[in-house]
Amino acid sequence: MKEIIAIIRPKKVGPTRNALEELGFPSMTATAVTGRGLQRGIAGEVNMDCPPELLVPNRPSGMKYIPKRFLSIMVQNSDVDTVVKTIIEVNQSGQIGDGKIFICPLDTAVRVRTDERGESAVL
Amino acid sequence: MKMIRAILRPEATEGVAEALAASGFVSMTQIHVFGRGKQKGITVGSIRYEELPKTMILMVVEDQSVDDVIDIIKDRAFTGNFGDGKIFVSPVEAAYTVRTGATGL
Repeated sequence: MKEIIAIIRPKKVGPTRNALEELGFPSMTATAVTGRGLQRGIAGEVNMDCPPELLVPNRPSGMKYIPKRFLSIMVQNSDVDTVVKTIIEVNQSGQIGDGKIFICPLDTAVRVRTDERGESAVL
Repeated sequence: MKMIRAILRPEATEGVAEALAASGFVSMTQIHVFGRGKQKGITVGSIRYEELPKTMILMVVEDQSVDDVIDIIKDRAFTGNFGDGKIFVSPVEAAYTVRTGATGL
């Protein structure tokens, strides 16, 4: 079992969810987070045009931390590549800020309702 | 690669983030969380707060940078009182950049 952590744009959560649901991975946990990447969060993603006299001089414009959605998806080992490929396909816009995906090992899982353990507890 | 999750005082995270960025660890995610530790929350007067607001900083770094990051966080988040926070390090097997599809950080 693996945990797939994807940090993606908030507006892409719906399309990602639909695409994964079609492949048979309907379950996920989503959290609203803020963060920044290698561009230090000033990539202009959430900028708006401001008259220069309103700006504080010598301060970078843009947001320090950009709002993102943090998705955590638990899958079987054999499904990792499919899910990662789908997430990349759906979220790829070519603009900076598309997000990152991390694959982490998962020791065990327990379904609370039935006390199933291990692989059968992950869908 | 390792994932570092540091659960810190909300007011300490800005200083930690600045110090990390100055050392070249720019990428991070902030999550506002509630939790408690060994002291089971805090008692102020007659009121017991079971869960306290904290900020979780989540970042993924290469193996050789883990100690540097932990040192920076420990240095900037330290006050000496209960509730300074905890740092957890867990393994990450792979990382992908969505924009390019490339593996690695």
